[in-house]
Amino acid sequence: MIQLPTPVRFRAGRRVGNSVLAVALCLLSARIATTQEPDPLLKLDPSSRFAVDLMLDSATAEHLPTRPLSSRALEGITRKADGKRIVDAVRKELGYLRTARAVLGGVPDDELSAAAAVVEAGAKPAQLAAFRTRHKDRNDLAAFTYWADLITRGVPAEDASSAITKLWQDGADDATFYSLWKSVQSDILQGLNPGAALQNRIRETPGRAPSSKAPPDGPQESQSQ
Amino acid sequence: MTDSDQHPYVEWIAREAQRPVVTDQAARERIMMAVRSEPVPVRRSRVWARVFEPRSFRLSPVGTTLLAAGLVGIGVIAGKVVNNRDVRPPGGEPSVSVAVQPRLPVSSAVVDTVVKFVFVAPQASKVSVVGDFNGWNATTTPMVRTPNSAVWTVTLPLTTGRHVYSFVVDGSSWIADPAAPLAPDDGFGHASSVRIVGRGSAL
Repeated sequence: MIQLPTPVRFRAGRRVGNSVLAVALCLLSARIATTQEPDPLLKLDPSSRFAVDLMLDSATAEHLPTRPLSSRALEGITRKADGKRIVDAVRKELGYLRTARAVLGGVPDDELSAAAAVVEAGAKPAQLAAFRTRHKDRNDLAAFTYWADLITRGVPAEDASSAITKLWQDGADDATFYSLWKSVQSDILQGLNPGAALQNRIRETPGRAPSSKAPPDGPQESQSQ
Repeated sequence: MTDSDQHPYVEWIAREAQRPVVTDQAARERIMMAVRSEPVPVRRSRVWARVFEPRSFRLSPVGTTLLAAGLVGIGVIAGKVVNNRDVRPPGGEPSVSVAVQPRLPVSSAVVDTVVKFVFVAPQASKVSVVGDFNGWNATTTPMVRTPNSAVWTVTLPLTTGRHVYSFVVDGSSWIADPAAPLAPDDGFGHASSVRIVGRGSAL
């Protein structure tokens, strides 16, 4: 049996040990880096993620906002929905955005998202088109948002659409929409039929409300009970 | 130790080593011709030798630690690169924007407005707000309970525009904000709320 001198064996062993340690550290750190800041969409199974990626790319190519789509996917992931359901939800959202774009044309992303929510709630594209009259100095985010809310709460889409469109065309501001929504919501919570609640309150709502009702910019507060 | 004590093999080796080597003159000529026919080896530059010649290093423990730290850094960077890799199969459609980042809080509006979320939940032990502003991550934005009350609050800077959100109570119950307009059903069986930030909005 060949006996090597002890120092040689020690050096060789240490060198191999260091190399193995270095490679192990490298692999371990790569693994840690992968798990530290994961792309949330990586939680989707590969086929679902591929489908979501395709839709995001389609939206980009069509100049549609991708934020609502990725938001919907992430929401589904957080809610532990399965991949197929998430893909369906993102696909529907993309469809609503396309419809809104087809009706409204080039509007800012937020307005497009809000209009898509109106379609998603149940309004027909024709009703969105009837609302379409645009005023460059007015922002229709609030109108779209309350419109979608009213339909979601059970107000018939046709009633909600005609009421909101009428108010908008009469020049109602955000505070007027807010006041109407607050009143209708209160009535619904007290048990009134949603459609009837809107019809009752719309009669009391002036076409033009004083703009002083709108709260100033700055910290906004939501009080929920 | 004397010669007579040596092993027979050792003696044989010693004898063979001492035996004069007789070589054929012709053979020597052939060998020398073969040697002369070989090209003269090119003397490589010092740089070449410094870079490519094998050499051995001796590292102190401190040096080894620094080297390991460097390798860890390389590993971290490599991990991030792998993490952000596109998953689409090769040969697929070229993407306009690769969907590797969450693509989330990228808004055309850059103006931040401080928004305070308030939620009343007397029985809750933990409440957080989730929405498109935090990637719907239930651990990112926990709300703080006001001492001796049932009110939970959190203040966030949000970009101008429309935001969809919900409250998560005790990590499992998703509750829409009763004080805000509802968003349509999200396709997952839960309602969310809408907050419009900035532009003098009443929401």
